[in-house]
Amino acid sequence: MEMLLDFWAAYSSTVVFAMVNSFIALSMYAVLSAGILSFTTIVFAAIGGFMAAQMIAGAGLPISVAIMGAGLAGLAASVLLAPLFLRLETHWMALASLALVLITRVVVLNAPALTGGVNGMLVPVRVGVMEMAIWLALVALVFYRLHHSWYGLATRAVREDPSVAATMGISTWRIQFIAFAISGAVGGIGGAGMAVTLQFISADTYFLGAAFTMIASTVLGGSFHWFGPIVGAFIFTALPTLMQSIVPSIQDVAKGVVLLVIMIYLPRGLVDPRARKLRKAARERQTLRDHHAPLEPSHDTILPGKTSKEAKA
Amino acid sequence: MTVSAHQDQGAPLHELRNVMMRFGGVVAVDNLTMAIPKGSVHGLIGPNGAGKTTVINLITGMFFPTEGTIHFAGKRTDGKQPHEIAALGISRTYQNVRLFSGMSALEQVMTGCYLNRDSSLFQSFLGMPIARANWRRVREKAMHLLERVSMADRADELAETLSYGEQRRIEIARALGSDPQLLLLDEPAAGMNQSEAREIGKLVHELCDAGLTVLMVEHNMSMVTEFCQSCTVINFGRLLITGDAATCLADPEVQAAYFGRKKHA
Repeated sequence: MEMLLDFWAAYSSTVVFAMVNSFIALSMYAVLSAGILSFTTIVFAAIGGFMAAQMIAGAGLPISVAIMGAGLAGLAASVLLAPLFLRLETHWMALASLALVLITRVVVLNAPALTGGVNGMLVPVRVGVMEMAIWLALVALVFYRLHHSWYGLATRAVREDPSVAATMGISTWRIQFIAFAISGAVGGIGGAGMAVTLQFISADTYFLGAAFTMIASTVLGGSFHWFGPIVGAFIFTALPTLMQSIVPSIQDVAKGVVLLVIMIYLPRGLVDPRARKLRKAARERQTLRDHHAPLEPSHDTILPGKTSKEAKA
Repeated sequence: MTVSAHQDQGAPLHELRNVMMRFGGVVAVDNLTMAIPKGSVHGLIGPNGAGKTTVINLITGMFFPTEGTIHFAGKRTDGKQPHEIAALGISRTYQNVRLFSGMSALEQVMTGCYLNRDSSLFQSFLGMPIARANWRRVREKAMHLLERVSMADRADELAETLSYGEQRRIEIARALGSDPQLLLLDEPAAGMNQSEAREIGKLVHELCDAGLTVLMVEHNMSMVTEFCQSCTVINFGRLLITGDAATCLADPEVQAAYFGRKKHA
């Protein structure tokens, strides 16, 4: 029991960071699932983070209100940005979003009244594990519902083939606009989460480091199901800590190595519904073959190689 | 339906009027006028590269015509977005089957029913009772469509694990999900054997009897003579001849354009 408490004392902060990173990864997943590669999550996080910091440090509001405010601020920003971004082709959109991340940094540095400028901002309170967990559960519930709704079906169609989706009456623009809005709200919440866990935020908090964590978590966990980014964020956050306690010497390269291994061997990430279905199909075919051997000649005349091979066997 | 029957009918369901499509210096469709009679199976034929798929892309709004107008059920559709044209009641399949990767056969067809969902995205997100009921109804409808193309027993399988002919049938079921008035089939029998092709042809006729109008792009001449009541032949994006299928195919110009190029046909 004491060991468990010790463990918790040592790693509870890791768990909180993992949850915060989950929001950031989910925000990226929100747009990625609709076929958009965009780094704007970092911008929404910055807006949400400084919004929350101002609400807490400036106005003395409770953390939950600040997180809500940050979500709304992120939402507002994304709704304004989305029409501009959706005019661009996918790869140009990715580049434009990267440019926006750079611009955001400069703006943060040059607006000391809002952001503390180069000095950054101190956040006097720290969020509890429980509160963060509740927020994550709420956001996960939203993603769960989205996945099993018409919106979810439409995003999968738009992601796989936008022009085919359009001939099914699906408005790509509308689906991607909604995706941006969700990304903005969740990104804002993630940014606020960073503010109330790090307790100090500056222009560098919402810059390349956060962008790297975000991409790595999403790639690692998988971007084809909402659960993927959460899994990815937890693994990616826990990894350096784990590595430090096992083999401290390779801690620095561990992140990069794991990312490479995953990309080479599991390019669709750890959570991949398609791979699961394919495995299931393969198993079913195997049992079918075991029970009904020899196989009847099928209608698959398009695959003559297959039938002739089976005939030989 | 006899040839004379649909000649007696009034306005065609779909019309291209003097449509021109240029890609830079290349003229893909050149001053083409084509009318699809309501309730018929109309064939669009021509040698490879004649511009048949371009015509389909113009009809579905993938391309906007450089010149000319497109009319569907009394409305202008040129300049409209593909999803708006789909909502008017035009649906299509693709020459090189384009199903969504990672979706089961049933999900593909349900996606095709998107226009028939009868509840808003938000209602569906909230899981409101009406949205749930609509979801179940669409699911049943999709299952019914899979039955129609005899794929119901494969509903839960990933489409990419199915054979090419099966994928084609799922694509047709998906295209029917929106209850279109006009169905565009881009070489529906490509890569199929004779009996599978005939099955598709029969299905098309059944649909036609139920009131659907079909435009079929086809290379298989026996499919055209057997299943199309009328047809339009194009070459180099230009109209060669239009009329009933037998007359068109017997036309010497068509014979030259078609069989002169494809010796084995």
